[in-house]
Amino acid sequence: MPGNKIRPVDRLAQAVAKCGLESTAYGKCIAKDFNNVYKDKCLAEFRVLQACVAKHMGKK
Amino acid sequence: MILRTSFRFQPRQGIRQQFLFGNRFGHLQHRRCLAIAASTESGNNSIPVARKGGTGSFQIFDRNVKRLQRDRAAANAEESRNVDYLRDEVANRLVERLYDINRSYSHVLDLGAGACHLARALHRPHPGLEPFASRIKHLTSAELSSKVLNRDPDSYVMPSESPMKLTRLAQDEETILLAPPSQGGLFESNTFDAVISCGSLHWINDLPSVLSGINRVLKPDSPFLCAMFGGDTLYELRTSLQLAGMDRLGGVSPHVSPLADVRDMGGLLQRTGYRLITIDIDDIIVDYEDVFALVKDLQAMGESNAVLGRRKSLAALSKDVLVGLDGIYRELHGRAEDGGSGGGVGIPATFRIIYMIGWKEGSGQQQPLKRGSGEVNLKDILGDQGGLG
Repeated sequence: MPGNKIRPVDRLAQAVAKCGLESTAYGKCIAKDFNNVYKDKCLAEFRVLQACVAKHMGKK
Repeated sequence: MILRTSFRFQPRQGIRQQFLFGNRFGHLQHRRCLAIAASTESGNNSIPVARKGGTGSFQIFDRNVKRLQRDRAAANAEESRNVDYLRDEVANRLVERLYDINRSYSHVLDLGAGACHLARALHRPHPGLEPFASRIKHLTSAELSSKVLNRDPDSYVMPSESPMKLTRLAQDEETILLAPPSQGGLFESNTFDAVISCGSLHWINDLPSVLSGINRVLKPDSPFLCAMFGGDTLYELRTSLQLAGMDRLGGVSPHVSPLADVRDMGGLLQRTGYRLITIDIDDIIVDYEDVFALVKDLQAMGESNAVLGRRKSLAALSKDVLVGLDGIYRELHGRAEDGGSGGGVGIPATFRIIYMIGWKEGSGQQQPLKRGSGEVNLKDILGDQGGLG
């Protein structure tokens, strides 16, 4: 990975960093009852986060 | 599922040191936790566990993948040097322990040398003393990945007037010590005055065989010094990945290696024939900007996942898991003085380093006294402060 190309994971990191509120909300939902996490427990929160990340991924 | 979210080893007297490293993250904390000195019972009660050639029955890690990961990491030398901070720090602390042994060595083996971190640490100036390299005539550095091993020229590793000779050996540290030359191995028994291993034994499949191999190549009454990542290393990442995996994928996949515990290592050293064993732990806590910075640094160190049962689809970490991971990590482990619930700027990552010193049996070596032969109660001497916690 030489050169100064921006790696996809960096763009993802930047996008997630811009979605602090949504990310925290998702984290809080999981951490609230972390002994009982099952698939799609926090689907609603995740969808919001995902939408936010997708929005910021689009922009360069 | 067992989650240890609030667990932190509480040191009796926490030592906090602050370092500054470039622009990558804020500071690094140092906690030396516990020092125990265990002595073996006298008499030969070791169990020979060496196996002929090859690796033994325990296969957890994919050594070939590990080599490729390290090669790839070293291909970008600049990036790779940027993440030397951890292994350099561990090497420096290991060299501090070398000073405690008042000896000179003619031939030392560095097992799992990485980019010759130990050789570099040996040349660091030490207040009031010569750099330790002046006490070593010849250092052989063995490392799985030749690209990592040869990343830096000698001029970068040590000053040109150094009295120490450095030999680089690109060989799998898991197998080179197992057999003597007559059976296809590299080293005769009783070859080295000391064997040192720094931050690489956590990728070894069959630790007992490697440890007894080290014991074989050591001269009698010679020390083996080792620093390895163990126990709760990266527990924050491990638990966050589990939770993110549960919620997003409905299951858990091994992302963080199983690591040896302090207790295991003491028993293992004893079982493989070492005497006068000393073990202590250091927690190095590094703050990262976010979880992506942590994962990227681990990758640049060549420390990506190489567990055999790992997820091998297109993306080892699914994008969904990665997107959710940062929020969970921050929530559970983010600073607000370490108790979680975010608030802080960075996220902490714990690296627990187990330092071990064991001696090969030799004549004239100090022997532990027989059990029950003590005449003074330690409690009388140490008072209330004698407990280990």
